[in-house]
Amino acid sequence: MRAIWTGSIGFGLVNIPIKIFSAVQDSSLDLDMLDSKDHSNIKFKRINEKTGKEVPWENIVRGYYLNDRYVVLDKTDFEKASPEKTKHIEIKHFVDEAEIDSMYFEQPYYLQPEKTGVRAFALLRDALKKTGKAGVALFVMRDREHLCIIKSKDNALVLNRIRFEEEIRSTDELDLPAAKSKPEELKMAVSLINQLSGPFDIKKYRDDYSDRLLKIIKAKSKGKTVPFTPMKVVHSKTKDLMEQLKASLSEKRKAS
Amino acid sequence: MVATAKNRSEVKIGKHVVTISNRQKTYWPDEGYTKGDVINYYDKMADYILPHLKGRPLSLKRNPNGIKDRGFYHKDAGENAPGYVDVFKVKSESNNKIIDYIVCNNKATLLYVANLGCIEINPWNSTMKKPDHPTWMVIDIDPSDKNTFTEVVDTVLAVKMVLDKAGIKSFCKTSGASGLHVYIPFKNKYEYATVRDFAHIIASLAQEQMPDITSLERSLSKRGPKIYIDWLQNSKGQTLASVYSLRPVPGASVSTPLEWKEVNHELHPKQFTIQNIFQRIKKKGDIFLPVLTEVNSIEKALKALNM
Repeated sequence: MRAIWTGSIGFGLVNIPIKIFSAVQDSSLDLDMLDSKDHSNIKFKRINEKTGKEVPWENIVRGYYLNDRYVVLDKTDFEKASPEKTKHIEIKHFVDEAEIDSMYFEQPYYLQPEKTGVRAFALLRDALKKTGKAGVALFVMRDREHLCIIKSKDNALVLNRIRFEEEIRSTDELDLPAAKSKPEELKMAVSLINQLSGPFDIKKYRDDYSDRLLKIIKAKSKGKTVPFTPMKVVHSKTKDLMEQLKASLSEKRKAS
Repeated sequence: MVATAKNRSEVKIGKHVVTISNRQKTYWPDEGYTKGDVINYYDKMADYILPHLKGRPLSLKRNPNGIKDRGFYHKDAGENAPGYVDVFKVKSESNNKIIDYIVCNNKATLLYVANLGCIEINPWNSTMKKPDHPTWMVIDIDPSDKNTFTEVVDTVLAVKMVLDKAGIKSFCKTSGASGLHVYIPFKNKYEYATVRDFAHIIASLAQEQMPDITSLERSLSKRGPKIYIDWLQNSKGQTLASVYSLRPVPGASVSTPLEWKEVNHELHPKQFTIQNIFQRIKKKGDIFLPVLTEVNSIEKALKALNM
């Protein structure tokens, strides 16, 4: 595993040097796009919409469409807006994780202490475990400021990026029913829910699509299946040929 | 082997002595294979290839200058042949001349023919005992240089599908070059004309399954970038490269019999060569032998095709 960020976490007077690793992986198959004719790889090109000619990376800029024209931004513009580059995550306060709506959760990462931070790391982890709390902090990654919580999970610390308020859409535009349900119906529905309730076990749920696809790929590579449509209708010309041959064969049989 | 003058050597096979010349002559300049490699190949392959050649007049394709040269066809080669070579006399219809075909009935003849520069061995579909009744029917799947081998495989599987539907047992081999051959055993039961008509029907049905990539058009210019399902090789005197024949193509590939389950998109047309073929035959034996012994019924096939 390769660390994607190195820096430190601080809480109170303690400073813990850490590395960040991605905690998730893609379970879908890595499929390549090919030309059906000869199985060459498909390549993408950035082209000028007007001329159709390829534009090299060094000639590409980014712009924002405002008042009927593009405002083009350069490197210094981005730098001015970027947060101060910092390699430090300061936990300012602690919350109950259950208070955070799951809609806010984004990418999770694992934290690992550098050699000098092992004891402080263990201390933060154990304290979080004991209190059942999660730390809330801001951190800067790839020139952007992110909101996150830090919580304990088994022997690890997990940093979970969470969304800012403005990233969640309001429900105002949806057409939602206001009327209350009838009490007897509600009672039935609740009892059904209770019947089907149990502890959440992630192992019960599997994404089988990739497994199934891989099975098909392996079978195909061994040549077990080659796609074929059922036999198409015979043309009349071929039918004539068949009729003629049949007649000539029966003639020969009579003659012999 | 006895060394004699002028790059000649003599190979004793039973009571026959075959004179071999210029063993060291390069036939495949890129790969470095020589005429001697061809002689050694047929010497080693004799037990497997001879059953498929026995009694069959040969059309000699001679490449005495190796594979970069186009070579030439030589039918009338029997006149000056040594005593151990059997000859089949055919009166040419065009000029009333008698043509002496070589018939490869023994290992000495096979090596004699190889020494003439025959990299490729082309036997008739019928034997001299029943020259007008072919042992097998052939369908030659012959791609243009614009087609992929995957398309060739799809086409041959369409032919196989039609044959299966007709209840016909068929056998596939690589041509050794870019195509595939399908053999349908008939054991001298029908005349050439009947077999050819049946081949036309099978080819038409297969072509109708894959109209976008296949053609029955004989003329190259009219055919375009399509795979030719060639059913016309079913006449007296016409030949395809024999099973286990080397081909005068880069890589020195061999026309190799396949199990139908091997005919899939993983197959490569030139994967079996002068180098690796013996390993395969050792493992699989001669899986093309049923072509000589099995028999199919055209009458039943026509019925099964719902006529």
